[in-house]
Amino acid sequence: MRVRGKGKEHGQEHKQKHKRDVIVTTVARLMIPFIQMYALYVMVGTEGAGGGFQGGVVFAASFVLFVTAFGITRGRRRLPESWNAALSSLGLYFYAGIGLLCIILSLFSAQYLNYGALPLWKIIGRPETRGLMITFVVEVGIAITVMAVFASIFFDLAWKGGEDNKDNREEGGE
Amino acid sequence: MMEWLIAEVFAKYNYWVSIVLMLIGFYAMIAKDNLMKKIIGLNIFQTAIILFFISLGDVSIGGWGGGVTEPIVKGALPWETGGIVEEGVVYANPLPHVLMLTAIVVGAATTAVALALVIRLYEEYGTIEESEIIEKERERELP
Amino acid sequence: MKALTASALMFVILLGALFIYVAEDIPAFGDPYSPANRWVNLSIGIEAGSNVMESLNHGVVPDILVREIKNRGLPLPEGYKVERGGEEGWKGWDILIPKGEMFYPNLEKYYFIMNEGNRLWIYRYSVPVRWEERCEEEIGVPNMVTAGLADYRGYDTLGETTVIFTAGVSVILLLRRRGKL
Repeated sequence: MRVRGKGKEHGQEHKQKHKRDVIVTTVARLMIPFIQMYALYVMVGTEGAGGGFQGGVVFAASFVLFVTAFGITRGRRRLPESWNAALSSLGLYFYAGIGLLCIILSLFSAQYLNYGALPLWKIIGRPETRGLMITFVVEVGIAITVMAVFASIFFDLAWKGGEDNKDNREEGGE
Repeated sequence: MMEWLIAEVFAKYNYWVSIVLMLIGFYAMIAKDNLMKKIIGLNIFQTAIILFFISLGDVSIGGWGGGVTEPIVKGALPWETGGIVEEGVVYANPLPHVLMLTAIVVGAATTAVALALVIRLYEEYGTIEESEIIEKERERELP
Repeated sequence: MKALTASALMFVILLGALFIYVAEDIPAFGDPYSPANRWVNLSIGIEAGSNVMESLNHGVVPDILVREIKNRGLPLPEGYKVERGGEEGWKGWDILIPKGEMFYPNLEKYYFIMNEGNRLWIYRYSVPVRWEERCEEEIGVPNMVTAGLADYRGYDTLGETTVIFTAGVSVILLLRRRGKL
């Protein structure tokens, strides 16, 4: 997927000049992991404020910081086009899938998106099942979709240059 | 006079703020020529509506007296008062918060698509002033 | 000034006047009488006789109230319970009814009868009140907003995620024209 040598040469030909600044790159290199961890903390919306949408947006903000500090060509290499298509569909697949799973696993007696009907309630009990399903499936799915879509929108709006940019075509062909 | 002022103007200050913001955004959408300013006006309008809706969720008993707290159950976490839920706490109405989360996300998606449209318009006509775009369209149609 | 600016300004001023005229009728926020916050008034007041209140105290809803409720097409199934209760300062009776669904076996507060000015008024509890009271025992999530978004109103969030997905796809369609999509 990532042919490192070939991509670098083509990137050098049609590269978009990005002037690197010492302060900005150092601060970004320090802050980006902590921003992403904070996004994971916000994504668990059950014990405090937060939720899936909010966590996904904070995660996408870390991508914007990366592009501001290091240039858009390097940023695009971190989130290529194929990943974007896979991630944004995966989140929606989780959400719709857990609903369908509730119908199937309770032998067609429950409604769609009724988390209390999964057979997990015999081990833990009904309230905890609903809480666990919300935290681990629904919120994660929403956050993945929102993160992929907002990062993709940002890259599309900020990409300058002609459409026959070799970087773009190489990743678009996958 | 004073009690009319207090009852009508000062007690309902959330409506006045929301109306002023709404009108600013609406004016920017109609009367400005630059397309980017119209998009910003759309965003201001959306923000005003969201503020208005959330301010409706205040249920403080006694008006200006004791306030309400956020809609998260107090004392339910194990490290806060040992996991025993506190009684007699007045929570804000959670329904406006839920609906407005969806509204915020819809606003962000609309702004993204509007910005993409402005980029396409710029590549096509070379300008983002609305009057110049209309002139260029008129020139194109005349054979 | 250009013609467009002047006409827009006038239109906005007229619209502002209309909004202000409407905003005078809305109750101030923080108003405990505001129906969107607590309950919905259902019926005109019924004369409160002492036998009506006696039967309510014993846990049986009298026929006058049953007829009022049934006339509006609202449910009052078997197995209801009447309790003395209500909010602080609103002394009255709660009627708890079973919802009749398979996975929600609790009784829940549905109607609220209040005695004010020697008349009985019937109210219906609004839905967020139920969220506030039951979210800890039914779901186990202290955050009412997340519980409402992901469990009580899960369909809305599903549609919302679809809106976000559609926005991402439409930006891709608008901004990439040559080469492979």
